[in-house]
Amino acid sequence: MTKVLEVRNLVKEFPGVKALQGVDLDVHAAEVHCLLGPNGAGKSTLIKCVSGAVEPTSGEILFLGEPLPHGDPAGSLKRGVATIYQELDLVPDLSVAESIFLAHEPRRWPLLDLDKMYRESSALLARLGHDSIPVRAKVGRLRPAAQQIVSIARALSGNVRLLIMDEPSAILDEAEISTLFDVVRRLTGEGVGVVYISHRLDEIRRIGDRVTVLADGRTTASGLPATTPTDQLVEFMVGRKVDQLYPDRPVGTDRVLLEVRDVKRLPAVRGVSLQVHAGEVVGLGGLVGSGRTELLHLIYGLDHPEEGEVMVEGKPLRSTPRHAISQGLGLAPEDRKSQALLLDWSTTKNVTITDLNRFSRVLLDVRKERERAREQLRALNTVPDDPDRVVRLLSGGNQQKVVLARWLLHECRVLLLDEPTRGVDIATKAEIYRIIADLAKSGFGVLVVSSELEELVHICTRILVMREGEIVAEVDGSDATERELLRHAVAPTDAPVLAEEVV
Amino acid sequence: MTTPAQTSEPGRGAAFAGRVKALELQEYALAIVVVLLFVVGAILKPDTFPTVDNVRNMLTQASVVGVLAIGMTFVIATAGIDLSVGSIVAAAGVFGGILVGDNGTSTLLFIAGAVGFALLLGTVNATAIAYGRVVPFIATLAMFSIARGLALLLNDQLPVSLLDLNGGSFGNPRVFSLLWFGNGRVFGIPASVYVFIAIAIAGWIVLNRTRYGRYVVAVGGNREAARIAGVPVRRIIFSVYVLSGLLAGVATVLLCARLGSASPVSGNLYELDAIGAVVIGGTSLAGGRATIVGTFLGVLTFALIFSLMTQLNLSTEVQQVTKGLIVLGAVLLQRPEARY
Amino acid sequence: MSRKRLLGSIAALSLLAIGVAACGGTKTVTKTVTVNGNAAAGGGSTGKTVSIIASVPPTDHGWLGAISKDAKAAAAQHPDVKFELLQAADSDSQAQQIEQAIAKKPDALVVLPQDGAALTPVAQKAERAGIPVINIDRLFTAPDAATATVLGDNYQIGVLAANYIADQLKCTGNVVEIQGLAGISVTTDRSKGFADTLKKKCPGGGIKIVAQQPGDFNPDKGLTVMENILQAQKKIDAVYTHDDDMAQGVVQAIRNANRADEMFLTGVGGSSDAMKQIKEGGLYRATFLYNPNMAGTAVNMARLIALGQGFGELVPPEVPRQVVVPAAVVTKANVDKYEKYAFN
Repeated sequence: MTKVLEVRNLVKEFPGVKALQGVDLDVHAAEVHCLLGPNGAGKSTLIKCVSGAVEPTSGEILFLGEPLPHGDPAGSLKRGVATIYQELDLVPDLSVAESIFLAHEPRRWPLLDLDKMYRESSALLARLGHDSIPVRAKVGRLRPAAQQIVSIARALSGNVRLLIMDEPSAILDEAEISTLFDVVRRLTGEGVGVVYISHRLDEIRRIGDRVTVLADGRTTASGLPATTPTDQLVEFMVGRKVDQLYPDRPVGTDRVLLEVRDVKRLPAVRGVSLQVHAGEVVGLGGLVGSGRTELLHLIYGLDHPEEGEVMVEGKPLRSTPRHAISQGLGLAPEDRKSQALLLDWSTTKNVTITDLNRFSRVLLDVRKERERAREQLRALNTVPDDPDRVVRLLSGGNQQKVVLARWLLHECRVLLLDEPTRGVDIATKAEIYRIIADLAKSGFGVLVVSSELEELVHICTRILVMREGEIVAEVDGSDATERELLRHAVAPTDAPVLAEEVV
Repeated sequence: MTTPAQTSEPGRGAAFAGRVKALELQEYALAIVVVLLFVVGAILKPDTFPTVDNVRNMLTQASVVGVLAIGMTFVIATAGIDLSVGSIVAAAGVFGGILVGDNGTSTLLFIAGAVGFALLLGTVNATAIAYGRVVPFIATLAMFSIARGLALLLNDQLPVSLLDLNGGSFGNPRVFSLLWFGNGRVFGIPASVYVFIAIAIAGWIVLNRTRYGRYVVAVGGNREAARIAGVPVRRIIFSVYVLSGLLAGVATVLLCARLGSASPVSGNLYELDAIGAVVIGGTSLAGGRATIVGTFLGVLTFALIFSLMTQLNLSTEVQQVTKGLIVLGAVLLQRPEARY
Repeated sequence: MSRKRLLGSIAALSLLAIGVAACGGTKTVTKTVTVNGNAAAGGGSTGKTVSIIASVPPTDHGWLGAISKDAKAAAAQHPDVKFELLQAADSDSQAQQIEQAIAKKPDALVVLPQDGAALTPVAQKAERAGIPVINIDRLFTAPDAATATVLGDNYQIGVLAANYIADQLKCTGNVVEIQGLAGISVTTDRSKGFADTLKKKCPGGGIKIVAQQPGDFNPDKGLTVMENILQAQKKIDAVYTHDDDMAQGVVQAIRNANRADEMFLTGVGGSSDAMKQIKEGGLYRATFLYNPNMAGTAVNMARLIALGQGFGELVPPEVPRQVVVPAAVVTKANVDKYEKYAFN
């Protein structure tokens, strides 16, 4: 079996930090090799060394037996190493074809050979099974899943032999993930080696052939079969046994905290009613585009419903965030970096922004602010709990904790969470699940939107499934299975999701 | 193909950078520039530059643009801009002058009129931007023209003499009469400098130690996140332009006091000086990061440059190039992330 | 919520509407032809009507305002003149305005350019299109840009000022020069005339120009510049300013520093404020008349050129290519005579 990639004892030191302390990795041709590890383990750094974006301090990287040029991304790309980052590096205003061939456009010198570009783009997309994506469409108008396919096609355009994918499923829903896996299998069918990074253990089992686990800059397990049981994998990652990923399921009470009645805002939400009781965690499952995020925004007052009412403990809400907050609602939005956090601010300021009244009569009591914020952050086990740390530098999981700390400080009653564990590592996920369960236990109501069905199945009291703007099913948490949820979520005609919603 | 840093690289090196020190570094750098300029001036013109009298002079000259710059700091902190303050200074002065009339002597009337008119114009800006959804650049550019037009229109293009507003005595204006704001001194420091410093201190307190100030910076830093966190975004945006107008009114009082008249052609391009001072001080044009200390130092920098170059009798061309180079230098001293 | 938006939109729209109208808008004045006009000097009515378009810079100065008024007044004297006055917002828009004016095919164009060099090309264009251009005050930089020029003698103003100051100071002392807008011919000429004459008149170098800074014809700039110069110079004997309006700021700076007894000041232009202060005596001792009436002269000349007539005094009657309006020294002694020409 040809070894596409061999990494031997790779070390990378940044000033003050040893990101990689001797990492080994072997990737064979035609295999999907999953890379697992908590945040800060060094996965990103490893990838950047392989792709040439960063120069390693010492160690070997062999590609198809030959050493890879260090610190030369263009060179690596030319040799056949392509990387698809989580934040797809596509330019929204370019067309699909232009994006695919960006920086190596076919030319009839000195002009671009547009015909060739369009033809070859279509061919590449067809190889991936997605020739329905129009090559002239602007990338910015495609759904994230389709954009990702474009990224992969771009990698293919350079005759890739090794494809590295960094958390590709983070932006996809179930159906899109299946489609992605089909594409990955096509690639391996052509002999391409794939490095697949993900936090989701279920995916690793579905698509992976072998697994390597990184922790603290070292390889703790190398080339394990993908069928290795979860506990073992988690143990390799965290260095200790994590007893339970999921806490006890909360049981709700009769007291209704949040009531949504016939809320409608076309075209996303077509009439939804639901209730959240104190002590329960209600899940909202469904595909991307089913209207879950839009529903949360309507409840919170970011958008105005055309019809319907939202009530908190019987009192109707005016449709503004400020009123919602004053009545005890809190929202942790889907994209925490652009919608929840002020990245250049300290953790303290991010935590207290909603509740500055608490710290000021005329002037702000800055010391008190820091104290309370630090307390809250500590209670959630935020690392680091330094109240002055710039939030931009925190890991995804800890950033999410800052957002949660904000609402806990404010003492709201109903929490609306939109994809709370997206981009969060395993260990922190467990913590967040625990936090959610504790909140429910102490009388909160929680409404969780998530695309990870496994997660919903384990942490929710009840799960509502949305499809095309309506709630189509309600399943009791203890009975639910992923398969059942998926069945409700997917439209009966089962057309390929991407092509339908491309433009 | 590099990703923005998503994961943390924990360690002591990062910790220092991580603490919120970027702004303070910028302020230190500018303080060094100010000291440097002063030293250069002291060396080149030892008899006339480093004197108490000249320092008084520079501070006085800094006061007018300084007051404007404090207001501009708040506006820019919300990622907005106000191009109209110079024109508002002219219009408000002429309006106040007309209100007082040919033989009037009421300083209070002048101040009320000027500040009130400036406040009104600022409110028009604020309404257009916050509720009319007009882009700040465009709205204040329109006001830049309108206010200048008004200044020329209100008194048929003529200046209004204010020499009578001296509390009765020529050459020795009574305390708190208009002309006293131009030349009067308290403990040897000119009245206008007190006004400037008071406003700067007030500005610092509001920006850094009140809810309002925190909201202003939040709106500029990430408007969407601020809204979701419950900040009254629209109201905040409205308020900063009203504030800018108000401070333009104060600035015109200080200017007219020294000039002894309200001139319709005054205030020419003051907004650029104000914006320049704010930017080299470290406040980011993209919003979300603001410093009053930086603005104060920026204003001082410009005052020092002007005074020094005039005293050295440099020609205009040399002055303009030098000023531009100093500003460029001050901006380059900013840390890379802070440069936008 | 919608009411707020309505209010906001109305404010925004009115703002924009007024802004568009004020910003770069043109102020046009058309005089109707009256039947019983007086035939002014320089050619009787031939029954033909001529159209004259005048273009002046933004009126940010009293002198320029007077120019506009004088041009209009002169045109009003002639029943056979159809007159339009365009006021530009800045140098660029003045060029555009003149282009538009050319398209209207007037019989003559009268232009006072904001910047002579910058507007030379468009003036040449007008000339080539067969439209005679009369240039006022700030000179174009090419001889084929205008048919006739009316200018004040800026160089002579410098000469008169130097003579006056040298006489007053008896050729010894420190002089400060506060100039106008840097880079235009008006300023350069006034400075040069002054410097050249001082050298000739006081060959021993007894009079020193210790500071020379531009005040941009602006009173608040004049104020701050003079404040700084007062700091730098411990003894000043005279201040030569290029402009009366700007000088008001300079005067204030001197007064604020309590040094009004130390020096005296001269201005240029003949504003009524200046004349008043000269009459009172003290700091402001003289101004040099630079009469905005030259605009009237220009309009009259334009009319003659358009009618194909000329100055009767010339043999044969034609319109001279260049008319230089003399400057006069106005001091306390003769201020009464010149008061009526003062501009506001």
